[in-house]
Amino acid sequence: MTNSIPEIRDADLLFVIGSNTTEAHPIIAMEMKRAVRNGARLIVADPRKIWMADIAHSHLQLKPGTDVWLLNAMAHVIVTEGLTDDAFIEKHTEGFEAVRKGLSAYTPEGAETVTGVPAEAIRQAARDYANTPRAGIYYTLGITEHTHGTDNVYALANLVLMTGHLGVRSAGMNPLRGQNNVQGANDSGATPIFYPGYQRVGDPEVRLKFEAAWSVSLPPEPGLNLNVMMKAMARGEIRGMYVMGEDLVISEPNASQVEAGLNNLDFLVCQDIFLNETTRYADVILPAACFAEKDGVFTNSDRRVQRVRKAVEPPDEARADWEILCDVARTAGYPMPQYESASRIYDEMAALVPAYAGISHARLEENVAGLQWPCPEPGHPGTETLHLGGPLIGRAGFQVVEYRESDELPDDDFPLVLSTGRVLYHYNAATQTVREPGSMAKAGRNFIEMHRRDARRLMISDGQMVTVSSRRGEVQAEALISPRMRPGCVWMPMHFADSRANLLTNDAGDAVTGTGEYKVCAVSIRA
Amino acid sequence: MSDRFTITLDGRNCPATSGETVLDVAGREGVSIPTLCHDPRLDPAGACRTCLVEVAGERRMQPACAFRVRPGMEVTTGSERIARHRKVLYGLYLADHRLDGSGLPSENGSVNRLREQAARSGALVLPPVNAPRSGRPGDSNPYIRFDPDLCILCARCTRYCDEVEAVSAITLTERGAATTIGTIGDSGLLDTSCELCGGCIDTCPTGAMTEKKSYGIRHEEMEQVRSTCNFCGVGCQVDLKVHNGRVVKVASPPPGETVNDGNLCVKGRFAYDFIHHEERLRYPMIRGRDGELHRASWDEAIRKTTEGLLAVKEKHGADALGFVSSSRCTGEENYLMQKLSRAAFGTNNCHQCAAT
Repeated sequence: MTNSIPEIRDADLLFVIGSNTTEAHPIIAMEMKRAVRNGARLIVADPRKIWMADIAHSHLQLKPGTDVWLLNAMAHVIVTEGLTDDAFIEKHTEGFEAVRKGLSAYTPEGAETVTGVPAEAIRQAARDYANTPRAGIYYTLGITEHTHGTDNVYALANLVLMTGHLGVRSAGMNPLRGQNNVQGANDSGATPIFYPGYQRVGDPEVRLKFEAAWSVSLPPEPGLNLNVMMKAMARGEIRGMYVMGEDLVISEPNASQVEAGLNNLDFLVCQDIFLNETTRYADVILPAACFAEKDGVFTNSDRRVQRVRKAVEPPDEARADWEILCDVARTAGYPMPQYESASRIYDEMAALVPAYAGISHARLEENVAGLQWPCPEPGHPGTETLHLGGPLIGRAGFQVVEYRESDELPDDDFPLVLSTGRVLYHYNAATQTVREPGSMAKAGRNFIEMHRRDARRLMISDGQMVTVSSRRGEVQAEALISPRMRPGCVWMPMHFADSRANLLTNDAGDAVTGTGEYKVCAVSIRA
Repeated sequence: MSDRFTITLDGRNCPATSGETVLDVAGREGVSIPTLCHDPRLDPAGACRTCLVEVAGERRMQPACAFRVRPGMEVTTGSERIARHRKVLYGLYLADHRLDGSGLPSENGSVNRLREQAARSGALVLPPVNAPRSGRPGDSNPYIRFDPDLCILCARCTRYCDEVEAVSAITLTERGAATTIGTIGDSGLLDTSCELCGGCIDTCPTGAMTEKKSYGIRHEEMEQVRSTCNFCGVGCQVDLKVHNGRVVKVASPPPGETVNDGNLCVKGRFAYDFIHHEERLRYPMIRGRDGELHRASWDEAIRKTTEGLLAVKEKHGADALGFVSSSRCTGEENYLMQKLSRAAFGTNNCHQCAAT
């Protein structure tokens, strides 16, 4: 997030796209509700009529996968009606001219044909967004889980830059992170192309820095992202895997391919707190401590580094993940230092990551609200709003974005578009929440949500068990006839091991990030 | 724009800004005024009358939580008249309240501000009245319990449900002495728009709204450890309440201190049963020739792990290995996982699980 969560309540306009905020980020949703109570305008863009759409001033109910058309059409309106912030564009950006030219084809009327959103609603949303100084964009996986996820993000960034909605309190570009520490995991370098702190693996000078710090020679070529790793595993090119805190079989798209790949491995070690669908393929299982049983930090969506503190002992012989990782490294012959505590590991990392350098476990004892990076030195208060006074990198680049269709579109055999996601009462692979009575009482089994018109055509009644099929697999689920859906679109949560949405989803990935297309695949349903 | 001016608080000149309430200024000046129905996240209600103060020129005492400051206003927060008022007020509250042997509100483990205040200020003893308020004894929701005989109808819970969570699952129902906190058709919370966030529990000043899971464990008996919620990416701060070595309750730090401003969702507040669940992994395990998992020692399991990975590396090269790190684990652990992958095994095939 370029802004901070506490800034949301002071916004005058919220543009929420591809984020079912009340279910996926309930506490951020509370801040948004407060902003709306205070008079902010709310625009929601989502194929489903989600809870936030009920209190929105405008709901742009687009067809799944047509975000680029919608956003380019909004940009088209902003440019043709002269609503751009020319001073900001001139001073802080580059590449606007190419984008401006490229937008001429993206008329609101054209957008109406492709996205299904009325042209006039697009015009109004574009005007409101451009004309409101404190206008923030909030998005989640509805933007990124597409083969054109990166394009979606660029299209949003173009809107932000052409209206100058950056480096302003309550106005910016705010991806809401799905997991407690997805931001921190990326910051810490658990990515194939970056060392900690987004320092490029492919840069020889950076490699030298880490070789010196870790006293070892390092591989020069960037690695494979998770999506590509799964495919390499299925082809027999990845032969051994170490999986920590992740249920690949539930979470990755095209799950039967993933299972075939896991079955092919010479060796699999899983480190987790429960048995799960992936541990069925494991040669070794290492029992780990959960968050309440260890020390460390999580970094949240607004770049806020906060402490995790040990409150209770792990069960029996289970140990903190960091202790296990150190033992494996040493047994493999790498002299991992003897860290006395998680705080020492943090210090080693912070010494290599400038944005983290001013933060330490000791400082977090005094700062009860956490510290937000960048925080380059110990006296630094942390950074609430990014890009104040201009983009951090100097000039921000516009990107020309062209609409591309999703990888798999509906056809005669698979006539419906499936999107998947999360419900309030469960969390991802749900190993934690299926063991919680309230979660099971509110959401105990899988369902497929569909519009009444589709249900009637398929002769399906509410609550009936149906079979949902795609080119990759099929699952049984209960039909939920719902006014929230668009006709032709269906929706399923991804949590349930006994009815796995990811047997259906498409593992085609975004060209840049490798993120799978969880939000669009073609399915058929039969009673 | 807001105007700045001074008011007099207990004879002292204090800066104030138009739009502020007397309670806002008093809080900033360190002057303590007791409140029950006040919550900084909610619109002022002035419902409980605990915070009444004297304002020069006003014939009646005024609620500090709702009364807006004016230039030159003179406020008295402590006087004989105010003390007499509070004594009567607490007496009235206690008259239809469930009391313990000491004549103070019964305790059920929750923080009870009414009990603290009545004990401190004294309460007029009035003949007990039987309140006809009803609860929802048939409500089978697993988390939230309502004790009507501990409720003072300050409506913090219903206002929280309306204004903050905005689902309006609970409301004031019935009339007169029978007024209670109800739902549509007296349904259990599972059958209403309630999302089980439990904000009604946190905001309740008397313990009438309380937790079923930790019911009866006194808050003084619980050790408290501040941590960060392990579910989504908001980063809510939580106080893990520990009793006999187990997490028995999760609460939010007070409003205004942390990113979640006193709020939690159903998962953050209630979904902690997994921590002490009997199915947790307790011992390392190695798959034997029989295809089954067998308990092993840590030494064996770590050796087997290393051998398995090194064998792949020797035969197929380091890039035949993949390391999947976890966005659920700490920053330190993610750092170590990529270091393990790169420095110990020589591959950049390391990605955290939320990459896709």
